[in-house]
Amino acid sequence: MSIQKQAYNALKSVVGEKYISDDPAVCEGYRSGPGGYESGLGYERVMTTIPEAVVMPKTTEEVQKVVKICNRYKVPYVPYSTGFYGPRSHCHVENELLIDLKRLNSFEIDEKHFYIVVGSGVIYSPIQQEAMNKGAYVIIGGGGAQASAIANLIGDGWSPLSHRIGLPHRRILGTELVLPDGELVKMGSLADGTDPFWGDGPGPDLRGLLRGFTGLRGCLGIVTKMAIKTLPFQPEPLVPTGIAPNTALALPEKRVKWVNFQMPSKAAQVKAMYEIGKAEIAGAVTKVPLFWRAIAKAECKEEFWEIWGKETEETIKNFFIVRVLLIGYTSEEQMQYDENVLSDIMTELGGIARPTKPSDESWIKNADSAGMWLMCGSYVSVDYIIESLSQATQHGESYADLKRKYTPPLMPDNGDPGWFQSFELGHQGYSEFLIYWDQDEDTAGVDHFYLETAKMNIKERFYTSLLGPHQPLYLTGPMYGPNYHEWLLKVKDEFDPLWVCHPPVPLAHDEFVERAEWMKPLKDWESPKKLPMPKW
Amino acid sequence: MRKDEMFDTPKKKVALDVTNLDNFVYDMDHCIKCKGCYWVEHTYMPGVEFSVRCPSNLWNDFDAYGAFGKMRIGLAVQKGKLKWTDKLLEIIYADPLCGACDVGCKRNLDLEIGLSLEALRIKAVQDGAGPMPAHKKIAKNISAKHNQFGSPHENRKKWITKDVKVAEKADMVYFVGCSASYVNPEIAQATAKVLNASGRKFMVLPDEWCCGNTLYSVGMIDEARELAKRNIEAVRATGAKTLVTSCAEGYRMWKVDYPKLLNIATSDLGFNVVHLIEVADEAMKKGDLKLTKPVDARFTYHDSCGVSRLCDPWTPWSGERGWMGMVSPALKRRRGKSGLYAESRNILNAIPGAKFVEMPRKRENSFCCGAGRGTKEAFPDLASFSAKHRLDEVKSVSAEVLVSACPWCKSNFSQAVKENGDNVKVMDIAEIISAAVEL
Repeated sequence: MSIQKQAYNALKSVVGEKYISDDPAVCEGYRSGPGGYESGLGYERVMTTIPEAVVMPKTTEEVQKVVKICNRYKVPYVPYSTGFYGPRSHCHVENELLIDLKRLNSFEIDEKHFYIVVGSGVIYSPIQQEAMNKGAYVIIGGGGAQASAIANLIGDGWSPLSHRIGLPHRRILGTELVLPDGELVKMGSLADGTDPFWGDGPGPDLRGLLRGFTGLRGCLGIVTKMAIKTLPFQPEPLVPTGIAPNTALALPEKRVKWVNFQMPSKAAQVKAMYEIGKAEIAGAVTKVPLFWRAIAKAECKEEFWEIWGKETEETIKNFFIVRVLLIGYTSEEQMQYDENVLSDIMTELGGIARPTKPSDESWIKNADSAGMWLMCGSYVSVDYIIESLSQATQHGESYADLKRKYTPPLMPDNGDPGWFQSFELGHQGYSEFLIYWDQDEDTAGVDHFYLETAKMNIKERFYTSLLGPHQPLYLTGPMYGPNYHEWLLKVKDEFDPLWVCHPPVPLAHDEFVERAEWMKPLKDWESPKKLPMPKW
Repeated sequence: MRKDEMFDTPKKKVALDVTNLDNFVYDMDHCIKCKGCYWVEHTYMPGVEFSVRCPSNLWNDFDAYGAFGKMRIGLAVQKGKLKWTDKLLEIIYADPLCGACDVGCKRNLDLEIGLSLEALRIKAVQDGAGPMPAHKKIAKNISAKHNQFGSPHENRKKWITKDVKVAEKADMVYFVGCSASYVNPEIAQATAKVLNASGRKFMVLPDEWCCGNTLYSVGMIDEARELAKRNIEAVRATGAKTLVTSCAEGYRMWKVDYPKLLNIATSDLGFNVVHLIEVADEAMKKGDLKLTKPVDARFTYHDSCGVSRLCDPWTPWSGERGWMGMVSPALKRRRGKSGLYAESRNILNAIPGAKFVEMPRKRENSFCCGAGRGTKEAFPDLASFSAKHRLDEVKSVSAEVLVSACPWCKSNFSQAVKENGDNVKVMDIAEIISAAVEL
């Protein structure tokens, strides 16, 4: 049954004719794939469809009205900000309404109290520029320059600059959340009617409902406005240079500088990160996969494979780079002090400084994630964890071992153990494992790998981020709880008794395994015969 | 370590041939919806204001109007899953094909977004659905009167006044184009004066016809190809070594789309194609053109698409696509790097007495005026919206004069200024150079 005429007309009366459409061509434009995050995988093919209609509210009040109409007429809906996060942020069921939030694009900056307030459609790179114009900076990270700040902060939101600026949930301040039934919740200092300068409000902190570790992909309502903490930056301008595709921010070297160090061993690499954190210097400390360097050097796909083809398991095994971003937040003298301390640490640990360009291509204003698709055409970050620094490196290595079994279809990467870095001045170690493949090949192996990683994390006792909406809830819930799945479903039932908000998340991956024949051989966990949710 | 042997990937034939949408399935299929086509590149992102580079998707917010939406729609059309409707035609034609999406995408990926959009329009015409009625009228005008306005053909050279010298025979031929011939004669006159002042002897074609930009741009490829053949032959017949334009659209058409239509390289045309910007810049460097007369204005510059991100030379390519989507033989992608960004600014910074200020969106990140490639004729509302949006940017830098390098930009901006009642003067770059030359 398609969206009822009465429901459609009611929605139209809220947003006006210009901002609603059920035209097939308009709806086709909102198809998830086949390209994009998790591109061409079984989940995208089995679990996504195009919307029956698209609506574009402008204000929180309009979002509330739209959601209430959906509840009244039992219209399933999915909130959608920029659509970058692949199939999991697109329509999953027939006759679904897609609520496109790009018109919620308000922006305010409070220079004095160091925060900004944005709507769901505001993306990272303009925010960073506005912040830097006022002597501040912020990190949204995750999906990169062109992804919604709110969507990233409730689902991701970290970057190498989290070494100093900290984890994303610490930067979420006063927030407006439209619950799945249309009720408005104001969080933090917004709750008592003041400005949104503070994240904690009266009563329980509901920010956990928004994100936990990596969020719930829009199945518990719609964030329409958020205040985000900014922090003081140095005052010199970062000057844009070059013509696309060779563009970069030229750095004022006396205040901002990247330095790369080649370390003699993995132990020295990790130790260097600890020591830099202990000394409380630097704005970012990271080790990136070696193939990212090949991406940065290559102008095209073919050139990438030429460069990457020169690497071997041996060169990867002996690649112990530490990239450090020094920032003279307060003065040139502070920058000099940091540089001296860094030099002492590296001398002690045998780190050798490598030539480094006096520019930033990827991190300060960007998180250049779009480049991840260059080599193979398809990509997903299959897992990210936050552990101790020494534990984080083991996580990447265990992934590399499992990955060998699934290569091909996964990209031959010579056992690269992924990406790891220091967060919060070395108090946490972050590990992210990224996989690449060609979506035109048989991708069943990628689907299998994805699921096998959850089992591997359970076995190895890694605290994985990709639980609820990314893996079968009945696989991970009993192992990470032991009843976290039951609590999550209770929360879902309480806030969204009709399951109108982005069904069947958070049971979508469970349903995928049920529906995809090629996944069935991997199912060795218990789950109810009928998943406990309404059928759409 | 190239692991071709790991996959038994069958190789597929592929060519940069816009007459067959199948050639661009890979490109459409691999759009990742990062929206690098929509937003100004992060490095140059000026802030929350003027942060978008796509006129179509700013005019209509639905994703379908962005390149990422059109890639999905194009795939559905190619697979026969979407029928041609008025709405679908609006989605693919309400778009100045300004190339912002193409260079945005190619910063990170190797996808041929611009060519996919062109191929989609050609498919619309092949299927009997396109182009729009306004485009058919232009085609009729060109067929009957050899210009897109339907003006009498005999008026084409009326712009030539007594104070300009046009040679009977020269190494350089000035292709004036429909707009400067009929609608903006002041641009043709200023161009001629700059060429005269530079000591560059030039002639005009004995019988100039429309370049066919709109025909090609809306997918009427057969008609455009006939014009291309006819015009190229006409230039070759003069024996000229260089063809100069004062029109960005015409420049792109001659330099890129004629070779594309005829499956030859730009270098195979038999003559060099340049814009006045290049001639003036070179003449200034050699000391042949001196800008000495003060121009009292605070002005800004709009990078017209045809002289910026759309003007990389064309080289035909066909080959195979295999493992991981790699192509062979090697393909040098057109990424918009050949734009006349530096040349135009060399000139503008040399105008005495004037203050040149940049807008937040510049060079490859410029926001198109919205007039080109059949848009203004079929969707005047979009053209007006884009021009007015750009004028807001002009005013944000307190410029009194807006300079561009294309008569279509000038006309569109001038109309928007008039409708807005703005206090901004619109000039072509030929006019401001001419104003700075002691004649």
